[in-house]
Amino acid sequence: MTGEFMQLKIWHKMIIGISIPALLTLIGGLWSYKYINDVKKRHSYVQIADDLKEDVLEVRRNEKNYLNYRDHEHFKQVLASITVLTRSIKMISPATIDEIGKDEFLLLNRTSTNYSTVMEKLHAHFHQEKQSIEKVREEGRRLETFAATGEHKVGLSTNFILNLRRLEKNYMLFRDRDSFTQLDNALSQLKGMVESCYDCMPYVEAIRDLFASYEKSDSGIGELQISGNTLEEITDRIARRERQHIETFFTITQRFTLIALILLCTLGPMLVYGTASYIVAPIIRLTEITKKIAEGDLSLRAPIKEHDETFTLAVSFNTMLDHLQLSHKSLEKSMELLREKQEEVEKCASVGLLVSGVAHEMNNPLNNISLTAETMKEEMDVLSHGELNECLQDILNQSDRAKRVVENLLNYVGARKSSAVERLDINSVVNESVNLITNELMVTNIHLNKNIPYTPLYVKGDHNKLEEILVNIMVNAIHALKDADPGVLSVSISHEQADGQVLISIGDNGHGIPESDLKNIFEPFFTTKPTGLGTGLGLPVARKLAREHYGEIEVESKEGEGTTFKIRLPVYEENV
Amino acid sequence: MMIIDDEPIVGRRLSRMFERDGYEVETFIDSEAAARELENRTYEIIITDLKMQNVDGIRILETAVEKNPDVKVIIITGFGRKETAKEAFRKGAFAFIIKPFRFEELRQVIRKAEKEIRNFSSG
Ligand SMILES: Nc1ncnc2c1ncn2[C@@H]1O[C@H](COP(=O)(O)OP(=O)(O)OP(=O)(O)O)[C@@H](O)[C@H]1O
Ligand SMILES: [Mg+2]
Repeated sequence: MTGEFMQLKIWHKMIIGISIPALLTLIGGLWSYKYINDVKKRHSYVQIADDLKEDVLEVRRNEKNYLNYRDHEHFKQVLASITVLTRSIKMISPATIDEIGKDEFLLLNRTSTNYSTVMEKLHAHFHQEKQSIEKVREEGRRLETFAATGEHKVGLSTNFILNLRRLEKNYMLFRDRDSFTQLDNALSQLKGMVESCYDCMPYVEAIRDLFASYEKSDSGIGELQISGNTLEEITDRIARRERQHIETFFTITQRFTLIALILLCTLGPMLVYGTASYIVAPIIRLTEITKKIAEGDLSLRAPIKEHDETFTLAVSFNTMLDHLQLSHKSLEKSMELLREKQEEVEKCASVGLLVSGVAHEMNNPLNNISLTAETMKEEMDVLSHGELNECLQDILNQSDRAKRVVENLLNYVGARKSSAVERLDINSVVNESVNLITNELMVTNIHLNKNIPYTPLYVKGDHNKLEEILVNIMVNAIHALKDADPGVLSVSISHEQADGQVLISIGDNGHGIPESDLKNIFEPFFTTKPTGLGTGLGLPVARKLAREHYGEIEVESKEGEGTTFKIRLPVYEENV
Repeated sequence: MMIIDDEPIVGRRLSRMFERDGYEVETFIDSEAAARELENRTYEIIITDLKMQNVDGIRILETAVEKNPDVKVIIITGFGRKETAKEAFRKGAFAFIIKPFRFEELRQVIRKAEKEIRNFSSG
């Protein structure tokens, strides 16, 4: 599965990496939108339930008032509030009713209708009851007058009647069992006192009616209250239930948010890190390779594994490297060619100088020889034996000089090139060269300060040529040390590992080289030595030979203090 | 007559021959010493090498001509280029001879110079 996954292009990976979280967020967002909508709806249900409850409470308040006053006005108020309630119920949409609960509404409707009926009945009853009360009062008053007129054969005392009327009033006022029992007892007494007192009968009768009416209104009120309570209960229940709905909603939301937060904190960074490293991994691999290549290994190639954009990148990169390697090679080749050409050019440039130098160096001894020969010819007879000898010696010396010039010249031009390149221990080459001049050193009284390591240090080169470099420079030092006291020649070798070079230093504390001459000493035929002593070819030859060995010669000098020549040669490397 | 050349043999051989010819000859190997001598004395004929340490032949020529405009300076050199020869003549050299030369050659030049000197002083 991963294999297939690996083939995705980077931008596909990025789209996936971005769209998964985006999709999740979108789903979450839509869900919360719908959820909040639901909550809003439920909240409106609570509102409806609260409104209904309010209406019912209004009904009950009016009911209470009515029961206190029991008049038509308050009756109308109760009816009005009931109408408000029923209208409110009717205004609720069927969908909402379905959501909240059909049964509840059926019950609500029925109860409210029932309530109105009971109410109306009660009101009618109350009307009758009022008449019953009037009757009682009327009969009571008649009984009073009857007792007061004095026709009381049965001994009906006014006091008793007055007490009876007080009890009657109490009963009407309190309507409780106590006042009822007291009145009932008094009535029984009345009956006992006056047997078959016809004048008393209507009063007793009226009270009896009132009893019945009271009983009936009590039951009516009870019925009304039950109905009212039911109304209250239903609306209460609905409101409570809707509130609970909302509360559950909030609890769920809270939990969900908490879980989402925890997931975001734990999975989020992991997801981001995973996606990022997954996208970047091939680029990192490529970068590492390029780093190595940049360090110089042009033979390395970027791995071609991925089938995404890095594939193209790696392929182009490798192509570029191929080109680079090719051009690097051809560059090296041209460099070599250039070096050869440069040598040629240098040779050509110095040909002019060389010719004038050669001419001068050759013509002088020739001139000396010819002048001497002419003298001998012209003065043959006059010359003494000693003079003759001197002349001959001069001729010999001068021809030697000419021979030397030619020799050095040939060396310089490299005509006697008989190179025998081999692996050489530079330490022993230097030691042997020093041996060649020990005699000279002894005669000139120069102290040798030698610092040459024992462990072999190999270079590639021609033994004779290397020796010539060293001897030329050491002979120059000996010449420079002619007037030094004590003259010291120091020869040392060190291995400069960082550059892979060996450094040979040859120093003296002789007269040094003036600043103005420093740039000339490597020019052919530049010499400061008296005529016949130097041809000025020693250093140019040495430099040429050193360059043949891919080395270089440098000089440091201070007039009056001494001179140090530094010869650098590349150390022999097995694999070169 | 003055002869300056850092090749000692030249001085030795030339002075011997010219002295025999009857000239009064002074030889110098060190051109600086010769230049100093020029400050003190006037010479009629000067033979000088061109390429020397310290003071070269052109400088000797300049010094000598400055001291005595009628001096005859003959320059001898191991390697003569046209430009150097031209410069020398411009600066008043009498002759420019390239080594190796025959003694006779030089002798002719000296004779000519001597003749000019005599003509000038008599006429
Ligand atoms: N160690 C040294 N101290 C002072 N001067 C030096 C030293 N080495 C070289 N020179 C100066 O550099 C000049 C050139 O040296 P180079 O070896 O090329 O020629 P040379 O010694 O004069 O003649 P040749 O070596 O051909 O006989 C010398 O004439 C000298 O002035
Ligand atoms: Mg030398």
